[in-house]
Amino acid sequence: MTSIPSSTNVLGALFRADMTTQWRNRRSAVLSLLVPVIMLISFKNFVSVVGAAYVMSTSITIGIAASCLMGYTNALARDRDKGIFQRLRVAPMPTWAIMMSRLGVQLVTIVVSVLGVYVIGFYIDHIQLTPAAYGFGMLAALIAASAYLGLGQLIVGLVKNPETVNSTTRLVYLSLIIIGLFGERGGLGEEMKTITKWSPYGTVKSVLAAALEPGAWTHDSTIALLATLGYAVVFTAAGIRNFSWTSR
Amino acid sequence: MLEVEGLNVRYGSFHAVKDVSFDVRPGEIFGMLGPNGAGKTSTLSAIEGLLKPTSGNIRVAGYDLRQKPLHAKAAMGVQLQATSFQAELTVSEIIRLFAGIYGVPMSADKIEHLLEEIKLADAAGKKFGQLSGGQQQRVSLLIATIHQPRLVLLDEPTTGLDPQSRRQLWERIEAIREKGYGVLLTTHSMEEAEAVCDRVAIIDHGQVMITDQPQNLIDRYRQDPEVLAVSRRGKVTLEDVFIALTGKTVRA
Repeated sequence: MTSIPSSTNVLGALFRADMTTQWRNRRSAVLSLLVPVIMLISFKNFVSVVGAAYVMSTSITIGIAASCLMGYTNALARDRDKGIFQRLRVAPMPTWAIMMSRLGVQLVTIVVSVLGVYVIGFYIDHIQLTPAAYGFGMLAALIAASAYLGLGQLIVGLVKNPETVNSTTRLVYLSLIIIGLFGERGGLGEEMKTITKWSPYGTVKSVLAAALEPGAWTHDSTIALLATLGYAVVFTAAGIRNFSWTSR
Repeated sequence: MLEVEGLNVRYGSFHAVKDVSFDVRPGEIFGMLGPNGAGKTSTLSAIEGLLKPTSGNIRVAGYDLRQKPLHAKAAMGVQLQATSFQAELTVSEIIRLFAGIYGVPMSADKIEHLLEEIKLADAAGKKFGQLSGGQQQRVSLLIATIHQPRLVLLDEPTTGLDPQSRRQLWERIEAIREKGYGVLLTTHSMEEAEAVCDRVAIIDHGQVMITDQPQNLIDRYRQDPEVLAVSRRGKVTLEDVFIALTGKTVRA
């Protein structure tokens, strides 16, 4: 009688291997944290002007977008191209376990990144939030990450070549961040301000800003939260639908 | 051990595998031979569960691949053409990963013992990419058989190996047969097929043209004018039979 390994054992083995891989590639994870760190340093003298929630939410949004879009998506595209997924797919396990393990590692990375932003924000910008704000902020960051992971999944679903995936994620990341940063303040006109507000950058940032300042949660924050969840569902569903385990 | 019946694989309008049927018995090395694009990889991919066949039945150790895919996969060990493991992991970490995936308890001592068996005791801490081609294939074969599968699928296992490494791998494949496992291997090397396979199937244009023991095939076609026309130095080999059956044209 052939025995099937339990899903827990399979997930454990995959997670341990994926975490080891992530740890050995920690340099790239640290580099993706550099942009929010630079942001925190640059905004040091403006915290009292724009508010702590604005600075923190902007930094976390940028950090999460970098980690999900460039880290997760490119790793997925690279491993698919090398045939690593095909080797795993011939094993007796459900294919969702492969992605679940990857997502688990990504969530750990995001938690570490957000904690990094909290710590740097505290020491450099002297931003101190309430424990509830830190907690809600972390929760909002994980929800926000689901939208960007979904977007990454969509890119890797639509684009096969790992080099093209790499350039596409950079393009999407830079577009989101640059248009987001300039657009949200009205620097690109009123129309762009509205578009930015309801773009994946804008909704994620609104949710994060409101979560980091729970007293300031408004009806718009709730709509932004629903929009973020909507982006996550739509991007992920489209990404899974178009995903191919091989790049050929 | 493996039964394939009326297997069909289509890619859109292209019929890659047409009504392929064969079986692999316990303690047998079965070779699948064919030129590029003949349908070998599509057939193997369907057996491995990597692609969904258009029609046909595949049973591995008695388990229907469609109805009991996880049981069927647990009963087979696979060595893919490209040995694709995470480049950041060491050999022992890769062994631990696949032991976990197949539910095989694995201690550090056991890993050391397994690596000693394949003469790679000093490679435990090396990254997979740092190993030579022959060493990579040995690790790959070790992982394919880590859970003692009843059927082992090997996709061109000796491609790119030097003669010593190739001979060593043949011995390991024969040792798998000695344990009573069934082995299905694809190869372009007729020398390999003659040396290790108990039976071979020649496949071309998606169809099995003939299945028999290598020596029987040679004997059967020894006097065939087409075989004699392609034979070199007066001695008929399996390669001559293969060329006569599949044609001289080089496939893309």
